[in-house]
Order: sequence, then C-alpha cells, then structure tokens
Amino acid sequence: MRRLPVYFLLDTSGSMNGTSIVALNNSLSEMIGTLRQDPQAIESVWISIITFDIESKIIIPLSSIDSFQLPEITCPSSGPTHTGEALSLLFKIVNTDIKKGSMTEKGDWKPLLFLFTDGSPSDKQLYREMTPKIKALNFGIIVGCAAGSLSDDAMLKELCDHVVHLDTADASTLKQFFKWVSETIDHGNKSMGTGDKVGIPPPPNDINLVI
Amino acid sequence: MSSTVTVTSIIDTNKKYQYIDKGSPSAAGGMKDIYFSPDKSYVVAFYRAAQDFNSIERLKKIVTTYFDRFFNNPSGAYYKELYSWPIDVVKLDNRIGIIVPCYNSNFFFKKGYALNDALKGQDKEGKWFASPLFRVSSSKSKLDESELGNWLSYFQIGVNIARGVKRLHAAGLAHSDLSYKNVLIDPVSKTAAIIDIDGLVVPGLFPPDVIGTPDFIAPEVLSTLHLNIKDPNRKLPNIQTDKHALAVLIYMYLLYRHPLKGGKFFGGDIEADEEVKLAMGSKALFVEHPTDKSNQNLKREYGDNLQKFQPWTNLTKTPYTILGPYLKELFDQAFIKGLHNPNERPPASMWEQALIKTMDLKLQCANSRCDQKWFIYNDTNNTSCPFCNTRYNTSIPILDFYFQQSPGKWKPENQRLVVYNGTTLQLWHTDRNVITNENLTAAQKTPVGYFSFFNNKWVFVNQKLTSLVDKSENKEIKIGEMVELTSGKQLILSKEDGGRVAVISIANK
Repeated sequence: MRRLPVYFLLDTSGSMNGTSIVALNNSLSEMIGTLRQDPQAIESVWISIITFDIESKIIIPLSSIDSFQLPEITCPSSGPTHTGEALSLLFKIVNTDIKKGSMTEKGDWKPLLFLFTDGSPSDKQLYREMTPKIKALNFGIIVGCAAGSLSDDAMLKELCDHVVHLDTADASTLKQFFKWVSETIDHGNKSMGTGDKVGIPPPPNDINLVI
Repeated sequence: MSSTVTVTSIIDTNKKYQYIDKGSPSAAGGMKDIYFSPDKSYVVAFYRAAQDFNSIERLKKIVTTYFDRFFNNPSGAYYKELYSWPIDVVKLDNRIGIIVPCYNSNFFFKKGYALNDALKGQDKEGKWFASPLFRVSSSKSKLDESELGNWLSYFQIGVNIARGVKRLHAAGLAHSDLSYKNVLIDPVSKTAAIIDIDGLVVPGLFPPDVIGTPDFIAPEVLSTLHLNIKDPNRKLPNIQTDKHALAVLIYMYLLYRHPLKGGKFFGGDIEADEEVKLAMGSKALFVEHPTDKSNQNLKREYGDNLQKFQPWTNLTKTPYTILGPYLKELFDQAFIKGLHNPNERPPASMWEQALIKTMDLKLQCANSRCDQKWFIYNDTNNTSCPFCNTRYNTSIPILDFYFQQSPGKWKPENQRLVVYNGTTLQLWHTDRNVITNENLTAAQKTPVGYFSFFNNKWVFVNQKLTSLVDKSENKEIKIGEMVELTSGKQLILSKEDGGRVAVISIANK
C-alpha cells in the first residue's frame, strides 16, 4: 500500500510548560483518534513525531497510525528552542524513511510536515542552514504553526509553504488546529474540483493564515 | 460557545432552517462545511466556494423539479431510502448551502471495531467494507463480525447501488462523483445510501464542478486533466464516467481490492502522483486482464500486506470468475473493452440484473465457520468453497430456464437456478414478463414453490403455480403436490404467455 508519511515537529521548550503542553497532548491524541476513524487514513497515513527543546527526540518513528501508542509529551521547566537541531534530525530520518518507487516497491506519497512552535529558534544559524536542505526534500506541503505572541512568523515563513498563527496555545485553539491538520492530511482522498489542484482546506476561524 | 443560526430558503422565503454553530463545522467535505440542525434530523452544508448563477440554478432544480420527478411517484418511497437527496437551498450572507436530511440510523456503526469502541456511532462510509484491512483477523483495525454481514450481503448492496445509479441515468442525470465516500453501505440490513447528490450533472445544461474522488475517476478524465476546461478534448464526469465508478464500486465490495491497482511499474524515477495518474488514467489496465499480465505485480502493490490480505490478494484463489458468468461478462466489458472506450461500459441496469441473476447461483458453504458463508456455483463437478476450500457435500439440482420463441421453439434464457435445501422458486423464474426491479409488488415477491431434500430425493413443492406440468412424464402437478427432480427432467412452469420451461440437471453427485 502506498504510504503517506506525515512528520510532526513539536516544540517542547520551557515556554510550553504548564497548560500549553497539556493542551498539546490532548489535541494530538484527539487528532490520532480522528484519523483512526478514517478508513483512508488507516490505510495510508504513517506518522512520525519529533519533539525539540534543548535536544531533539524521535518519540514516534514513522509508523502506521493503527500501530502505536502515543506517549505523553513532557517538557522541561525552562530552556532554549533548538528548532534548527530538530530540522537537522528530521533531515536525517526523512532520507532513510521515505521509499522511492522501484520495480519491486511502491514509492511513498510526498511527505507532509507540520512544525509547531511557540517561540523562535534559539539556534538561528543552524535553522537557516537546514532550511534549504529541508525544502529540497520534496515535501508535499510544509505547514508552520506559530502559537502565542513570542513566536516568530517571519522565521517560519522562510521554511514553510503555509504559516498559521494561533493567538494562544490553549486547549480549544489547539484542538481546532489539529482538527484542521487531520483534514489537510485527508484532503487528497476527497472529491476533487474540476479546476483546482490538490491543496489544503481553509483554516477555521481562530487560526490566521499568515500571508 | 455554540449558537443556533437560522437560515432562509432561497426558493420559498417562508421556509427557515436552523443549525448549531460551534465555531467550526461539525464535518468538512472536499467542497462543503457541514452543520447539524438542533434535532439532528438534517444538516446544513455550506459551499466554501462562491456558487455562480449556474450552480445555484442547478441546486434549485435538484431540490424542486428533480425532487418531484424522483419521489412523487409509486417507486418514490424506494428511492427516498436510497438517496440522501437535498430538500432545499439556503443562503446566509454570501454563502450558499443545501439542506440534506440525515441518513437512517442503520448507516452508523453500532459496534464498529472488534477491539474497541472508537468507531461506534460513526457513519458507515463504504471504504470500511472495501478493503481486507478492516476484515482480516490479523488486522488491528478489524471491524466487529456483527458489522460485516456475509458475502451475499454485498451482492444485495450492489443491486441497490446499481438501481440508484440506473434511476439517475434514466432521468438523464449523472452523479459525477460516485465513490466509497459518497455511498454509505450497511451490510447488516444489506442497504446502501447514495449521498452528495448536489453535484448532479445535467448534460448540456449544468456542467460538472468536480472531477470525482481518487480511485473512482474514469481514465479519460484523468488523462485529459492537463487540458484547459474549455478544451473540447477535455473529458469531464458524465453518465459514462459514472458507469466506470459503479463497476469499480461493485468490484471492490465483492473482492475487496481495486480493479486497476496491480502494482504495475512504469519505469524510471517517477513520483507517486504521476504513477497514480498513469495507473488510473492513460495507462490503466485491469489487474485481471487475461492476456496482458503486466499489472499483476501484487507484491509491489501490497508490500507486507500481500500475505495479511489473503485470499483477496491472490488472483488465482479469488479471480473475478468466482463471481459467476454474468458478472464476469460485465467486468470484461467494463474493465477490458470499456476501460478506455466509455461507450462500451455496461449500463447500471445490466449490473442490477446480473447481480440478481448471480444470487440465483449461490450456495451456502458447508463450513459453518467460513468467513464468507456463501459462494457462487462454479459449474464444475467438484464444487467447493473458493474461500475456505471446503467441499460442498450434497448433490446440486440445477434448473436451466427456456422460453418459447415461437410455438414449439424453445430458446435458452441464459438464466439458471442453483438449488439447495430451502431454495424458493419465484415468479421471476417462471414468468419472463416479470422483471426483478424496484417495482415488484409484495405479492410478486412471495415464492411460488420451494425445493427440499426429502426422503433422500430432491423435490419441488408447488405452492402457487396453476399450470405446472412434468413434461417428461406428461403429468400435471397441482398446488400442494410435489415433483421429484431428476436429471434431464423438463418442467413446464406456466402455460401462460411468458411462461418458462425448466430443464433439470444434477451436479456434484
């Protein structure tokens, strides 16, 4: 079966500590639950989750969505946001994860990347170094999600095709965001218009698409 | 915070509808956002894109003219169950929406997954029943057995879908987006509901605004996708593309695999979306093509699931010929002759009739634990279940039907009835003027007799036939009497106009 790999890069730096990390855990598990109610997604979607604060960790290696248990995501009480390092780890695993089409094996769909952060990269130089490399990986879509007033939309724009801005990382906003993510993941399986190319559904009200 | 919003019909401004707005839609389709009414008896589905004059006119016509034409007549009640037909068009600010009644409760999972309750209450989108992933015992996403029905359920479901499409086409309309997303099915009650009717295409009057859903888009639509929409060579959904989607649906519900997905490799360094476009478009090839086997690279198609999905990924064990001769012929027409020749594709009415005739060839598997429970008689002397290989353990009487073309000249009907203990004989077997469609009355559906294995003999018991004659012995069989079935025996089932003769043979002795 052809896989649709979906990567999540989640900011677990100190500023997420408290209600935000709880909201993130809840919304993420709700999103996985929604995808597990969708037969197309169960058949094709594979998910990988990387968290980053002072260090980057693969908490879910690329797995089909009916095959893993979501661990609780935790964060330190303070510390930097090493987004660049997370991209560097992503670069490494995407290159080994993604299957190219061959005579004996079907190639994967273009992978999707969702990057969630509530701050700006502490390792700006590495971030800027990795940006063109990540872009060259041929992602189907790269969505950046900036939550709260401290996040840096402009930095995200350098990497992402779409940047959405959440005013707060509270439970209801995150829930809406991840609902929209699951719709974006499922978008390719729905009716296609006569004119348009496959894109993303418009975000809900509380989410502002940064142009 | 949720609020209740009132919207007004654009057809009759006295008509108001309400929906609950929780800040975001309850569901989102490819084109529409969906909100439930307070009592959940209907939904308001708003189009995300602005609707032009033509689209609004089309919607108006669907909820008025076509609504009346479809439902305000004797077979209307049957079709009302089969479609989720929009009943009104509303406007709120600049957004256009439609009012669609919610579907029957049988289209929501009562149990869902076998292992947990995560699916309970979700709608039974057809996809759940079109892949081995949701039924093989080794799968974590297996549906509960109580949700799956048996193999025969899917023939009946196919009949219902075919009828729904037939009725649209008879009115000159194309659905334009048939897919397992837009057809809900319930294997328990053996019913189907066709949804997303609002995309109906009226040839020449209202052009389509969707090209369809992946897996169901016809080859000619995909292979001309690069052309401008005004280009005369660009192909868009119409009645012929519906016929393709219908054939794909029926194939998938019966064999749980896609008829064009065989893992064919087109060479070179090709992106996934380009490969799919070729495999479903200009280079589409039936996975079971009898001579061109280049699309039978199932290891490539299914990868690790090749073993897990047995027997459905084994074309030798479950070839489409296990569906019997009538369906084989139609699949040949749809996926070999008609795949790239839209005019050759079988119409919906032929699928309806072929599915019904095929159900007359059914046999119950002798293994009570067989997953499929039923199979189709394969016309050999070694009858066994193709799914679990269990040998069928009794002899099988077969009635081949003939009709009188001119006095004394009998011609075969290409229709037969395979008999097991308890098979019933129906009016549509004995009288060629009775056609098995949605217009059959309850009286026409009551059996005219039944078959039984009685005192070590196969017999037919006459319940309603007034002029049944055992022609071989020239003896009249009155109502309440029985006649033994022996090889070569001829029964005149009715002497009236359209009455058939049955010639009996005994197989699997």
